[in-house]
Amino acid sequence: MNLAQQIINGLVLGSGYALIAIGWTVLLGAARLVNFAHGQLYMLAAFLAWAAMQQFGVDYYVAVPIAVLALGLLGVVLQGVMLPLVMKQNLTSLMIVTLGFGYVFQGGAARVFGGDPQRLISPLQAESIRYGDIWFTLQDVVTLAGTLLLFGFLWLVMNRTRLGALVRSVAEDPKLAQLFGINAARVYIGVFVFECAAVALGAGLVAPRSPILTSMGFDEVILTFVVVVLGGIGSVGGSLLAGFGLGMFTALFGALVSPAYTTAAAFLLLLIVLVTRPGGLAARR
Amino acid sequence: MTRLATPLALLLAALAYFVPAAAGGTPVVYAACTTIAILAVMAYGADLILSYLGEVSLGHTIFWAAGGYAAAMLSVGPGWNGWMTAGASVAIALVLACVLGWVTLRTREFVFSLVTYAAAVVAMEVAFNWSFLGGSDGIVGVPPLQLTVLGRGITGSTNAELWPVAWGLLMLTLLFIQRFRQSRLGTSALMVQMNPDLAQALGVDARSVRFLVFVASAPISALAGWLYAYQRAYVGPDMFESYFLVLMLTAIVIVGRRLLLGPLIGTALIIVQQTFFSIGGDGDKIVLGAVLAVILLLWPKGLIGLWELMRVRRAS
Amino acid sequence: MTDVAKVAALQATGISVRYGGNVAVDGVDVTVPAGGMIGMVGANGAGKSTLINALAGWSRGPATVRGKVRLGGRSMDWLSPHRRARRGLVLVPEGKGIFADLTVSENLALIRPPRNPRGRHPFSMDEIFELFPRLADRRTHKGGMLSGGERQMVAVSRALRAAPSVLLLDEPSAGLAPRLVYELLATMRRLVDRGLSVFLVEQNVRATLELVDELYLLERGKLVARGPAATMKDDPRILEAYLGTLKT
Repeated sequence: MNLAQQIINGLVLGSGYALIAIGWTVLLGAARLVNFAHGQLYMLAAFLAWAAMQQFGVDYYVAVPIAVLALGLLGVVLQGVMLPLVMKQNLTSLMIVTLGFGYVFQGGAARVFGGDPQRLISPLQAESIRYGDIWFTLQDVVTLAGTLLLFGFLWLVMNRTRLGALVRSVAEDPKLAQLFGINAARVYIGVFVFECAAVALGAGLVAPRSPILTSMGFDEVILTFVVVVLGGIGSVGGSLLAGFGLGMFTALFGALVSPAYTTAAAFLLLLIVLVTRPGGLAARR
Repeated sequence: MTRLATPLALLLAALAYFVPAAAGGTPVVYAACTTIAILAVMAYGADLILSYLGEVSLGHTIFWAAGGYAAAMLSVGPGWNGWMTAGASVAIALVLACVLGWVTLRTREFVFSLVTYAAAVVAMEVAFNWSFLGGSDGIVGVPPLQLTVLGRGITGSTNAELWPVAWGLLMLTLLFIQRFRQSRLGTSALMVQMNPDLAQALGVDARSVRFLVFVASAPISALAGWLYAYQRAYVGPDMFESYFLVLMLTAIVIVGRRLLLGPLIGTALIIVQQTFFSIGGDGDKIVLGAVLAVILLLWPKGLIGLWELMRVRRAS
Repeated sequence: MTDVAKVAALQATGISVRYGGNVAVDGVDVTVPAGGMIGMVGANGAGKSTLINALAGWSRGPATVRGKVRLGGRSMDWLSPHRRARRGLVLVPEGKGIFADLTVSENLALIRPPRNPRGRHPFSMDEIFELFPRLADRRTHKGGMLSGGERQMVAVSRALRAAPSVLLLDEPSAGLAPRLVYELLATMRRLVDRGLSVFLVEQNVRATLELVDELYLLERGKLVARGPAATMKDDPRILEAYLGTLKT
């Protein structure tokens, strides 16, 4: 085994995990909302970008922003209809509702885009870079850089701006926030739009790695689940760390032990952590 | 009223037995009725958690699949009869539920849901990759169900022949749920969900209640999976598909939580739509998902909530 | 001109609050004159907090509120709590009044002072630190790290930043040392003398009587007595229920 190559693979995988997870992390932290349609949103974004390139012949560099924008709009609609439940913090019903949405997206996408596997082709994927034994593509570099930039930017916004304080205040106590003159509903919508747009960006950068299917849904992003919980509910820094950690784990586990059981092993890891530390690794309490 | 309740329930149960015959008795009708009974029993397993603990278990496909795999493997391999495979299904489900129940003992709300979902993903991956469980092909050629009831042998090679077993299983499940609702455990569970402080003040140990309810729910879904294996004569990793998960949850919430007949009516509505008014596999997915989302968004209490709303309006 | 002066800063009529089937507050009227300080006392569970929350249109539980609330003559009835706060009907709730995960500065910066104050006075940071010098040193501390008294100061400060027409204070003295209670309430009185209107709900009858212009007594959700502080001091119900037990 080429250890250096596996570490590169781990970094690349990890940046993808972290990027796809970030929206969910923020959503879970701010609105305590588990979005089980997350995987279908990823699928939808990938297919929207694909359709924009196939049907309208636009460039990859235009198709991805279109998908991000479209998903952002979808986020406004989705959170709009869920708002009464979110304001009541009826979390049980919300989880089931998002599961229902995911199922609708999956059925709807299969009808619109067909059941065949497709490829979202990025010109960057073809540009490979070689250094002796190790090998990666320009797409990998862009994904890694994009992830780090987005996380850095998000960290700054969350910790250094009034907007970030607004989100954190609603996360801590939406009722109290109302007395501060804060419209919690608007914060919830904003956070949900961010999750949808972020997962669309993640899809735009990560989906070119492998064929896309309308049925891929959760399976494709299932590992981001681990990232979100391992990183600590709502912790931006924790998610980045957990994303890279998980990337390394899957790359090395796949190379050293068995590629077939990688997901199961990652989840087993999650179960062990949750039994010992129910709040995730970054939990303060 | 209460004196009449038992004879009325028995009468309804007896009438239910003749529903497929009254609906024409065709193979399609028998298939639909048997499927409704099986999937309703599966949903009742998750119902115990959602209605009485107030948590969303996304791991009940594990018990459902465990029951199916146990029935398939033990009847194909050692050639066990129906009673023995049923016993094995229950035993395996209990063991799995104890493990999962212990793992999730300290988790609540979305963490509980995430962990049960994670467990289901692990289980599916194991089923998909482990040749002992048939891998991605699953286990084919499950022989017809063989049962001896009161000295009479039953062979279930068609849906019409399986219907009495499915009916019996459904009735037993309903009886169990009814008993559970009135039991100490059932009332404690509701109290833990509705008023945890009061429960604690009365000396109810919330953790052991949650654990016991979780463990009690597993064999129900497992027995549904057990019969499903015989009905389809095949089990595979597709028993973990989100279809069953979404179906369970929709069946429970469609009519309303904490209603004895809720999951049965919910399942019946869904299967009737998919069997007789299907608009294609993907279309049915849209219908199922949309029904689930719309019901919860508009009437979080289910259709019964809509009915109450209308009654209040009419009264005022 | 005189008519305008007569308009009460806050006028609430027939406020009733129900929790499910239980009536917690039953038909209470409250009038806070401009530049005045009204106190409300009552036993635990009398419905004081429920009432003051209802004025702000706010509740942590599923409460149903009836009655009318007018702020400077304008109806607040259909406004959500965050809109009422922005119009100047600002509540400092009982207990947890600030965000534990945010620093003192962040807590205060959450408030956007009104662009068009219309006679309301938005307190600047300098004024806040002048009022509560201790907070100046605590700027970068998280809310969760502060003492009870400091937390209450931040809670009041953020309310002042919002330029309140009427400040609703729910038991600001709860959990504070007696010296701090007096200090805090005296500060409030100074602000009232400078023109602020305050409605104060308190357990501490003695301190309240010394500071407010008028006192309300609430029992089991109903208003049983109201009058100027000077006369209420000798009201047998007040004496018996509260002051009497404190006599040593």
